[in-house]
Amino acid sequence: MNNQDEICSTTPPHEMKLTAHVKAGGCAAKISPSQLAEIVRGLPEFDVPNLLTTIQSFEDAAVYKISEELALVQTIDFFPPVVDDPYLFGRIAAVNAISDIYAMGAKPIMALGVLCFPVCDYPLSVAQKILQGGADALKEAGAALVGGHSIQSAEPIYGLAVSGLIHPQQILTNGGAKSGDALVLTKRIGSGALLLAHKAELLVGASLQTLLCSLTLLNKSALEIAIPFKPHAATDVTGFGLIGHVHEMSKASGLKCVLHAQNVPFFPEALSYAEQGFVPAGAYANRNAYESIAYINDDVSLSYADLMFDPQTSGGLLLALEPPKAADLVKALIETGLVGAIIGEMIDGNAGHVEVQAR
Amino acid sequence: MSDGIRQEIDLRGLTCPEPVIRTKKLFDKAYVVAVEALVDDNVCVNNLQRLARTLKVSCEVEDKNGYFAIKLERGGSKTSTASQSSHTHPLPISVKIGTTPTEVVTVLFITKDYLGEGDPDFSKTLCDLFLQTVFASGHRPRAILLVNSGVRLLAKDSSALKVLNDFRDAGVEVLACGLCVDFYKLKQDIATEQITNMFAICEYLFAADKIIQP
Repeated sequence: MNNQDEICSTTPPHEMKLTAHVKAGGCAAKISPSQLAEIVRGLPEFDVPNLLTTIQSFEDAAVYKISEELALVQTIDFFPPVVDDPYLFGRIAAVNAISDIYAMGAKPIMALGVLCFPVCDYPLSVAQKILQGGADALKEAGAALVGGHSIQSAEPIYGLAVSGLIHPQQILTNGGAKSGDALVLTKRIGSGALLLAHKAELLVGASLQTLLCSLTLLNKSALEIAIPFKPHAATDVTGFGLIGHVHEMSKASGLKCVLHAQNVPFFPEALSYAEQGFVPAGAYANRNAYESIAYINDDVSLSYADLMFDPQTSGGLLLALEPPKAADLVKALIETGLVGAIIGEMIDGNAGHVEVQAR
Repeated sequence: MSDGIRQEIDLRGLTCPEPVIRTKKLFDKAYVVAVEALVDDNVCVNNLQRLARTLKVSCEVEDKNGYFAIKLERGGSKTSTASQSSHTHPLPISVKIGTTPTEVVTVLFITKDYLGEGDPDFSKTLCDLFLQTVFASGHRPRAILLVNSGVRLLAKDSSALKVLNDFRDAGVEVLACGLCVDFYKLKQDIATEQITNMFAICEYLFAADKIIQP
């Protein structure tokens, strides 16, 4: 945690505004779920015997079984800057990419960097700092940076293709949740709205610090704490927003999910910025995409609903497990200084439907 | 409303949050009574509608075929009764949503419905007086957090309700602990969006630079 404190203790200098020309940074830059479904539709199915995941299952990462004891987990994630400080941006992008490995219950081993960089607009030291941030995150994750690819482009983009390992019996998929399971979330929600406020230079002090600490925090500890509680299913909350990822989990598990808005841990000030109209385009795209499966009760106020569709960058893990274990997990997370909250439960019902209750 | 300035602002070509910020800045000026903003995407329309709700100004959207004209006006049809006063008195300049870089984040942590120890009735009156004085002095804490019997201040028959609503209308988050609201059986009295949990209360306290607990 020492590294974390160091990163978050100072407000970064703003010599060169990395976010200035970026339309949508972080996971808000994601292609909308409905557009993505259209893009991947019609792709051939790959009948590979040892492949344990398919594109259609919307898993966090692909899993290839090498032997009865070992499976390879692969994922890639990259996006335009969310913050102006290049080191922090690199670190956030890397933490976000590595998160998909943790979301499968796996351990990252190595990664390739992906860098698109406008070499004429920024000094090369900016690119160097981005890579440094990514490399430091990998070091902390216990994985090696083993290469990468870089091109010139109009907008800076950075991310990682990460490989991990896991025992095939221990994979945590989207689809393992059981009826009656409680849902535990390990990071706060609302980073999309707050990053908009940050872009507008409105977010300062403790609220900004809480946000940056969360964005740069690996899901490593959260997963390590969760594993002994034997979660049935896991995913991480990123661009499709809380409702989107809860939907993917409940659909894959053949269950319905009930979320309690009051129990969702939101970032300080996120509700207030959402109320004032700091809602990213991605949140509206998510709302449209999930309109048919999301049932928001009338007493849930607009800002809560907006944040539950808000695209998350470097979000937390979402874990489904038996209620008593969920309560113990939350306790263990909080004792370690992490965020933990039971935000809903899986019930029998229309697969993939998400009902949002106020309390 | 003729004794104020109506402003037009062309925000086409800008993406959020820029249009929201520029519109909000216009409304920070008390003499601006209406703003007509031109925007060219749906996200901006949605976000300006949210801003209008928060500022308690009316909002009309007109599709101009290719772009949108959004009319926001103080004291319009959607204005709630709580801010009717803005008809006659312009909002004080100090009413400002969002933070300035130098602002110290102050939180008011109210754990009971009276102030100090002494005669019970007098202590309750003193509590109202305290809140009214804070409001009148122009102090705007980030949030007023009500726990235990403090949540009673939000009850329908509470003499402090008016000043707490004034705070809320000025952009201060007035939040009551859900557990306490249940315990004192005030669920019917308090709006859902003002009810929060201990987690959020802790978040506010730890994010604050200064906590005042009367």
